Amino acid sequence: MENFKNLSDEKIITDLLPQKFGRRGMIWTTGLMVLCGIGGFAYIKQLKEGLIVTNMGDYVSWGIYISNFVFFVAVSLVGSLITAIFRLSGVQWRTPLTRIAEIIAVSNITFAALIIIVDMGRPERLYFLFNHGRIQSPILWDVIVITTYFFLSLFLLYITLIPDISLMISLKFKIGKRFSKIYKWLASFWKGTEGQEKLRDRAITILCVTIVPVAFCIHTVTSWLFATTYRPGWDSSNFGAYFVSGAFLVGAGAVVVAMYIYRRVYKLDRYITDDHFNKMGKITVLLALLYLYFNVNEFLVPAFKMKNEEKDYLNGLLNGDYSLMFWFAVLTGMIIPILIMIFKKGRKPLPMFVAGIMIVVAAWFKRYLIVTPTLLHPFLPKYDSPLRFNHYFPSWEEWAITIGSMAGVLLIITFFTRFFPIISIYKTLEDKHTITKKTETIEQYESVQIS
Amino acid sequence: MKAFKYHKLSIILLLLFGPWISKINAQDSVASKTQLSISYFLPVNNLPYLEVNTRKKNGRKFEAVTNIPVNIYFDQAERKNLLGQVTTDSTGKGRIGLPASFKNEWDSLNEFKFIAEESSPQGEALSADITIKKAILTIDTTSADGTRMVTAELKEKNGDNWIPVKDIDMVLSIKRLLGNLSVGDKETYTSDSTGVSRAEFKRDSIPGDQKGNIILVAQIVDNDNYGNLAVEKLVNWGTPVKPPKNFFAQRALWSIRTETPFWLLFTVYSIVLGIWGTFIYLIFQVRKIKKLGA
Repeated sequence: MENFKNLSDEKIITDLLPQKFGRRGMIWTTGLMVLCGIGGFAYIKQLKEGLIVTNMGDYVSWGIYISNFVFFVAVSLVGSLITAIFRLSGVQWRTPLTRIAEIIAVSNITFAALIIIVDMGRPERLYFLFNHGRIQSPILWDVIVITTYFFLSLFLLYITLIPDISLMISLKFKIGKRFSKIYKWLASFWKGTEGQEKLRDRAITILCVTIVPVAFCIHTVTSWLFATTYRPGWDSSNFGAYFVSGAFLVGAGAVVVAMYIYRRVYKLDRYITDDHFNKMGKITVLLALLYLYFNVNEFLVPAFKMKNEEKDYLNGLLNGDYSLMFWFAVLTGMIIPILIMIFKKGRKPLPMFVAGIMIVVAAWFKRYLIVTPTLLHPFLPKYDSPLRFNHYFPSWEEWAITIGSMAGVLLIITFFTRFFPIISIYKTLEDKHTITKKTETIEQYESVQIS
Repeated sequence: MKAFKYHKLSIILLLLFGPWISKINAQDSVASKTQLSISYFLPVNNLPYLEVNTRKKNGRKFEAVTNIPVNIYFDQAERKNLLGQVTTDSTGKGRIGLPASFKNEWDSLNEFKFIAEESSPQGEALSADITIKKAILTIDTTSADGTRMVTAELKEKNGDNWIPVKDIDMVLSIKRLLGNLSVGDKETYTSDSTGVSRAEFKRDSIPGDQKGNIILVAQIVDNDNYGNLAVEKLVNWGTPVKPPKNFFAQRALWSIRTETPFWLLFTVYSIVLGIWGTFIYLIFQVRKIKKLGA
């Protein structure tokens, strides 16, 4: 915060207002749109021909789509971590990170919901979930909690954006007529009066209190989709906590990556400072250690017992077909980032960015490992099934849809950045004025001569 | 020295047989040529079919060889005798039903030779044949003095007559969900001079369907002369298994949607109403903010 206290309000506003895409921005956006297009094409093919275009079968009935769904849900949890938990615990340095976390949450939860529809194969049957759904089923709980989290995250993003949009309207921020209308519809009523401030502040606090348990529920319920079934690797009472801790870690990793990119691309060094990376580094190390602890409980303890029913599954992970991916996920997703970030030099922006990328990539593979190997090792013997059901490797359509969905997440974030400030201007100015006021008060105190 | 004496025998044995053992292992580790085989099946539905199998020995295990096109002929490998072509699937197997055009031969002959030949000119020129005698397998049950017997009879066609076949191993079993369970203690039962094999039914308390029905199965498996034959019979020898009364009508986790336990309904609805109630309240707060700015 100290970095921008000497800047004028105008300079801060200019720095933080959305900027037009440059050449790199256009290439980036076009690339993402192409990937989305390929994903869309693959999805249309899947709609026409059915789930037969995937390589899923009787055993691996949840493949890469559900791995991706779990990944998106995990990343989306970060909105509650950075915005709600930081706000409720009075973390002062959170301002430049909150909106990044919120848009990451909204974009990921949107595609988490969409990918479930993709996995269903017949999207027109979605309403069956409601008119035939049983409240006893964790799948229905997941539908309820994802819908709730989506709306709460979107609302949180909106309510914190209101003063910024109002500022953009007052500055006649040029974005085109159609968008100006949308801005006006969203926030023209904001005058910044004391009454409005009070109501908004109270609403955000209530929202933060509400969103934390919902966020915990969303990933706990997702873990219960697995843990409430009796299968090797899923039959665990540890699963809720294991999923939530993993989600916080990957979310923190995603925020670190986004922080670095925004800082570099939009030259926001004064706002997203080395100190922010240092502090996020400490939090991420803590989360990585916590997740590592749950991993020890999830894998080493069952491996120590090596029950017959779980033997094939565990051997497959620890030194079999999936061992390369498993150890990659453990080393790259937890151990190496811990070793990088535990030292002060490792908490500088670049090493943090590298560690963040490692965490996010490994987290995706970790979700794949949670879903697939277990499905290949059912308790009931495999009976009269084709040989191909014993293995699973996603088809090109599955890869295209998955990559397309990831591109979709990034596209939402990219377009959001184009039309809205990625760091809250209103809050930054408020922070600046608070510091200035504090400094003035200190100076006044210091200038008083004690006789 | 004492240790040497103790292990002397092992060392001598190792020197003697070591090279031979290593040779066996070396042979095992080399993949052999593809093998083609053909089998005849007369399943329960009485529609006979032929199955070809292509596999290869790799080490000590057989591996399926896939995508091998195979022509199947009757009697001689000539174009006019072609019954059809199959391509082996991922399990190395391919199946073909006997075509309707084969009916005349089927009705007039008692013995059939089927030839399988790899049809791809680039292949290994694999071939196999099988000669099958026309036979019929029947299954029956008897019950006397509290002893229940399962009998199966095999007859082969000789001229215009069906004559019993002795000394044939038959599997007499009960159909279960994931496989068959022998009706008695033995795995197979051999037919006597009347062509009948008998087994005492010793699974008195075996669970059947809701009426106590079970399916008895008689099989001849991979016989050189008759191939694979199977026949079934439904009998009321099992214990009726009825789902508990009102099993799905009670309020339980496994019940239908209208029978959700009250505690679960209460928990879910309180959470949903609590959270969505708060959300709606917050939307009203935004409306208030809006009014203040109007």
